Amino acid sequence: MSNSAGITAMRAPLGLIGLGAAAVLLILSGVAFGSSWIPLEQVAAVILGAGDKTQQLIVLQLRLPRVVIAVLAGGGMALAGFLLQKVTRNSLASPGVLGVVDGAALGVVIFLALLSDTANALVVSIAYQPLAAAIGAFAAIALVFLLAGRQASSAIRLLLFGIAVAAVAKAITMVLMLIGPIYRTTQAARWIAGAVNEINWGEIQITAIAMVPAILLVLLVARMLPPTDLDETSARGVGLNLPVFRILIFALAAALTAISVAFVGGVGFIGLMAPHLARLIIGRNVYAGLVASFLLGAIMLVGADLVVRVAFAPVEVPAGTVTAIIGAPYFLFLLMRKDRQNG
Amino acid sequence: MDDIARPRIDVQALTLAYGTAPVLKDLSLPIARGKVTVLAGPNGCGKSTLLRAIRRLLRPDSGQVLLDGLDIAGLNDRGLARQIGLLAQSPSAPEDMTVEELVRLGRYPHQSMLQPWSPQDAEALESAMAGTGVAHLRQRRIGSLSGGQLQRVWIAMVLAQETDVICLDEPVNHLDMAHQLECLDLVRRLNVEHGRTVVLVLHDLNLAARYADQLVFVKAGEIAASGAPETLMTRELIAEVFGVEAMIITDPVHQRPLCIPIKGMTEQG
Repeated sequence: MSNSAGITAMRAPLGLIGLGAAAVLLILSGVAFGSSWIPLEQVAAVILGAGDKTQQLIVLQLRLPRVVIAVLAGGGMALAGFLLQKVTRNSLASPGVLGVVDGAALGVVIFLALLSDTANALVVSIAYQPLAAAIGAFAAIALVFLLAGRQASSAIRLLLFGIAVAAVAKAITMVLMLIGPIYRTTQAARWIAGAVNEINWGEIQITAIAMVPAILLVLLVARMLPPTDLDETSARGVGLNLPVFRILIFALAAALTAISVAFVGGVGFIGLMAPHLARLIIGRNVYAGLVASFLLGAIMLVGADLVVRVAFAPVEVPAGTVTAIIGAPYFLFLLMRKDRQNG
Repeated sequence: MDDIARPRIDVQALTLAYGTAPVLKDLSLPIARGKVTVLAGPNGCGKSTLLRAIRRLLRPDSGQVLLDGLDIAGLNDRGLARQIGLLAQSPSAPEDMTVEELVRLGRYPHQSMLQPWSPQDAEALESAMAGTGVAHLRQRRIGSLSGGQLQRVWIAMVLAQETDVICLDEPVNHLDMAHQLECLDLVRRLNVEHGRTVVLVLHDLNLAARYADQLVFVKAGEIAASGAPETLMTRELIAEVFGVEAMIITDPVHQRPLCIPIKGMTEQG
């Protein structure tokens, strides 16, 4: 008995150490692999300022940005998924399924369509792109909430309306792309599939500046997450006003999603898989679960980018295709398992 | 006399409507300190609504609920949860949650940013599990428990909250006879040993009469009668409130009034 309790107590720390090590290894590999191989020990040295000019260019300007944005975007999507799965008490909930990602996509496509001049140059700063993504994400989640109405506590209703809202957003996005100029269409299509290449440090800076306060907010509200395991009445019984808290969490998840996908695009299924796997590894501890989700999200997107770079070189395939190829069956697996539990 | 002069909870002129249909109509009810009060009445009479209003899950359209003379509308969520505990009618939690994890949630209103988990929390957790006899189940997943065990675990969660007032909304609804008695005996013990004020909604009139110090009959959103079970369990009142022709005898074992329903009386007849 005491032995199994000891293992339970060690589960979260051991899991986090393992995930942390895997993330570091993958980040270094993400920089090392490419059209030319840079040995792992040199990767660290170049990041710290050593190495020749070519190596510095490859590492600092070409490879490190895509790895860093993959860490931020993958981690951010995973945090959003963690919050949504927790507060809906449903492992099928994620930014993608609830329509947030497609809402953000629509926001960005409208932004690109409205605010580009005839030469396809943006007439405003690119820094507004996350804002456009956020407006789209908030509009989508608000619509899902309004449609679910009084039954916003029912995860199934939220998921069904989320899927419907996602479909509508996707359709409008498609129409906008079809009627738009060719150049913008390719640009938008890459964005929608989700790709981490062609990211520059300026875009990373914008992402990080928005992401840091969002993550601090997540850590601030994490203390209130445990009672969300309860039904609404019982949660209120122990002092958590769940109907209000749920709205706060949905807004926070929408913000995290928008910040994550603003430049990278709609990378599918990380928000679904990462928090679910984190639960399996870590258990119910919310702080450890949040950290594990972030690490897993980062691992998945850095890994997916590594796969497309190595497997499809020299063609640049969006990393989102890999996460979707793995994620969609995972979603089906969860769906079928849930079905069996309910039946 | 003192109990009546200074009620723990004082419901004053409460009116509450769902949409336009009033559920509670200008209802007033003092609830005695350190006693077991049972709300009873026919389906849809408003007894559960009254309990939910007492715990501020519903906001009244007018009137107020005083807790030790203070309007509960002015308390914050966690503050109220440190004073009134609640066992919901059909509580739920993930099946893979362990007993200890669930009971732990009862400590939520006592924790804060600066005080995440204190020795006091651990002590309350242990004594709640010991008091309900679920300590040996602590590592079990709640999905693997029997109905009676599970109900004890939920009571343990409410107990860990360490509130002076405990509200229970039909706590024995889904339990078999043995577990009904076990559950209500446990509630009674909490009242006797710890002097907690207990407010219960019960469907079964005979269980209500057996466990109540103060029995309250609710009918169509109003208090039909309130007092000791002996004074309320009369043929006339049961006919008026429940629409049942009944015989009342004294339970030879517990010396409490026992209702033997004879037949229902239709309003038209």
